[in-house]
Amino acid sequence: MSDIPKEDGHGDSPIERDLSRRELLKKAGQIGAGAVAAGSLIGSAKAAPAQRPGATPKRGGKVTWALERDPVHLAPFGATLTEGHWGKSPMYESFIEWDQSLNERPALAESYKIVDKKTVDFTLRKGVKFHNGKELTAADAKYSFELMENPPSPGSAVVKLTNYAAVEGTEVRSKYVLRVKLKNSDARLFGHLAWNRYTPMVPEGLYQQVNVGREGIGTGPFRLLEFQPNSHVEYTRHQRYWKKERPYLDALSFKVLPDEQARIAALRAGAIDGGTFSADSVAVLARDRNLRVLKGPTAAFRELQMTIKPGDAKPWHDKRVRQAVNFAINRQEIIDKVYGGNGLYSGHVPPGYGPWPLSQAELKTKYEKFDLAKAKSLMTAAGMGRGFSVTMSTFSAPLDFAQISAVIKQQLQRININVNIETQEGGTFGSNNARGTFEWDLTQRGMRGDVDGYLSEFNPSNPSYNAWYPNYRNVRVWRLVGNGKIQLDQAKRLPMYKQAQRLLLEDLVQVPLIATTKFHVVRPRLQGMYVAFSDFLTGLHTSAWVNG
Amino acid sequence: MIGYIIKRTLLLVPTLFGVSVGIFLMVRLLPGDIIDILLGGDITATEEVKQEAREQLGLTGSYPEQYWNWISGAVQGDFGDSLRNAEPVSAILRDSLPITLELVFLGLLFAVVVGVPLGVISAIRRDSARDYAARVAGLVGVSIPNFWLATLLLLFTSKVFGWVPPLTYVSPFDDPLENLSQFILPSLAISVFTLAIVMRMVRATMLEVLGQDYVRTARAKGVGKNKVVYRHALRNALIPVITIVGFEVGVLMSGAAIVEIIFGLPGVGNQLLQAIFNRDYPMIQATTLVIAVIFIGFNLIVDVLYGILDPRITAV
Repeated sequence: MSDIPKEDGHGDSPIERDLSRRELLKKAGQIGAGAVAAGSLIGSAKAAPAQRPGATPKRGGKVTWALERDPVHLAPFGATLTEGHWGKSPMYESFIEWDQSLNERPALAESYKIVDKKTVDFTLRKGVKFHNGKELTAADAKYSFELMENPPSPGSAVVKLTNYAAVEGTEVRSKYVLRVKLKNSDARLFGHLAWNRYTPMVPEGLYQQVNVGREGIGTGPFRLLEFQPNSHVEYTRHQRYWKKERPYLDALSFKVLPDEQARIAALRAGAIDGGTFSADSVAVLARDRNLRVLKGPTAAFRELQMTIKPGDAKPWHDKRVRQAVNFAINRQEIIDKVYGGNGLYSGHVPPGYGPWPLSQAELKTKYEKFDLAKAKSLMTAAGMGRGFSVTMSTFSAPLDFAQISAVIKQQLQRININVNIETQEGGTFGSNNARGTFEWDLTQRGMRGDVDGYLSEFNPSNPSYNAWYPNYRNVRVWRLVGNGKIQLDQAKRLPMYKQAQRLLLEDLVQVPLIATTKFHVVRPRLQGMYVAFSDFLTGLHTSAWVNG
Repeated sequence: MIGYIIKRTLLLVPTLFGVSVGIFLMVRLLPGDIIDILLGGDITATEEVKQEAREQLGLTGSYPEQYWNWISGAVQGDFGDSLRNAEPVSAILRDSLPITLELVFLGLLFAVVVGVPLGVISAIRRDSARDYAARVAGLVGVSIPNFWLATLLLLFTSKVFGWVPPLTYVSPFDDPLENLSQFILPSLAISVFTLAIVMRMVRATMLEVLGQDYVRTARAKGVGKNKVVYRHALRNALIPVITIVGFEVGVLMSGAAIVEIIFGLPGVGNQLLQAIFNRDYPMIQATTLVIAVIFIGFNLIVDVLYGILDPRITAV
């Protein structure tokens, strides 16, 4: 089924380009055909690494980091959990990688050539060694692509690459060249290859060689020594890593400590070098001179989601009511009350995601401006001046969801909307959300490999569209989102997604709220660490080093 | 006596059958769907692919069919594979069960070793300052939630001594001292409630026994004070205490779950809580069943001990 209602006149002619590493590096940060996805332009995601100015990174040493959730398993393919990627990311890499500002740069593929709009040839870097000593070849890459499409257990068989990019198949052209064939022209491919969460390269026959749930072989900067579920993950440096100067650390250890107070105790006692903490705990830990606080934006933003279904007339099916809700919500009050002043306004694409989101100024002064008088006027115009009651479901944990709900309840009372808050355990919430069995959900979005990931749910071909708002129609949005996906020219793609966001902020079937700030607290000996926008712990295996 | 033991053992069969059916049904009554959780909110998955995943995980078919598949494997030690990481549940239990058993054992040991003498002292020094102190301590002990105490202990040792227990589990067979340093705080945290219960129960039963005619007779015959207390009174006073200790195994195992999470111990309780969050049915069923078997097993032991200590019970 086509998910493109109508072509919009944007060209998608094939563009041939063979980029050397130097050229790719140069192109990263510029507009180029398929060269970049998330961060084609310098984004605002960059967070200053925790490193004293002028300090020179040293090699050696070990870092112990606390994970707040168990990775469950380390299988390279078909894994959906963020915590799974925390556990496995030090050992796996893909063709492309993101830098700290989400610019794409060559990783295992030193270049690629867009042969035609459905064919891309990737040339692999020569001499890249897996942890078992074997050299990476196109045959390994082909094997990896096949597993991306059909992830064996313990990965989830339904998490297919073709859900994220229209890959039809691959072909080994030579020892170092892999041809990727696409079903359609697809701009999402490169972002998903940079987001190695789903696209790592593994040696051919890996699944026959090791138990991939607990073991692994990749090309990454660290080699896995041991994974004990609910306990720890131990890594040692990959001695033959292709980036000669990296990693700085000799060893990396993750300890699973779900309890925040236990993490605080371990950090103070020096049993760990760092971890992730809530804003409340950070307020206390910041007073400890033996610790340092790192903070930065992440892709996780909070939003209010509504269902619009046939045969179920609800007040918010009227666009004016949704707009009234949007203008009655004071986002700055949420940021101040719930997050101690740390946070940003968010559109449907979170701030920091390369050049794609709308600016803070545009959100604050126009689309997400707190305007109670306007909200009341819209409610009256919709015949809802006396208000209504609605049930808003949200997660029972983490606590900020319930706190945001309480603030929103208070804010919407001013336009006579009585919000009944229903907190649900994560599994229940997720199940109800996926089925669309809710009135309003206070939920969140996370990192995406490509900007399309944030807007694809407004495409009627997406299963969630029919579960959540089958009665919502905006052909302009459909065209922009559908065409944006196949448009390889990022320069042409950018205004399409900006325009789609503006239209969505008028329709407001989902009301984006705020982007949260993530905090790491580290001991001073840990240098070069930073809060990754992707919500992963990239700094630990790319730039972290220890001083003393 | 042997007949009594056989009779009590046979009674386990219907009990365990009832428990297994209850566990199986309750797990399926949990709201939320493992498939949705496995997909991690993947919005692109259609109902068809979800159904395909359910079939792969053995979640289709009638409940009796699913129950039979599970229980017929369970009685042979095959609890199936975890839905989350595809590892055999029996292997996960093999790794995690010793940790919880050690924690419960140490907690119980601490509760008995401290609780019994405190109860005795409190009884024989009735209405003294020591008695009042012990009673107040007992009240505090039953009132403190173990997760709160566990957190306080951790924060206290980290702040004051700059020390927390080792974060990675070490087997007592590999390094007994390291293992002990790892378990001392968690076992203390889970034992306090049981300790208080044991202390209060020992005090109450000792007071009752110390007023019995045979104790008065022993004293009248000139038997030494310690001998009267420890040989005549305490032995009889311990009979109801043993019952309480048996029940407290269940309390300790349930308390172990949260304490294991706080101290980062990969025990059965920790695994069970994670499995519940993840709707990992085979894991929930197996761990709950194992905990139930341990609890029932301890009660069987208590019944047998009861029969040994008081032969009148086996006669009935």
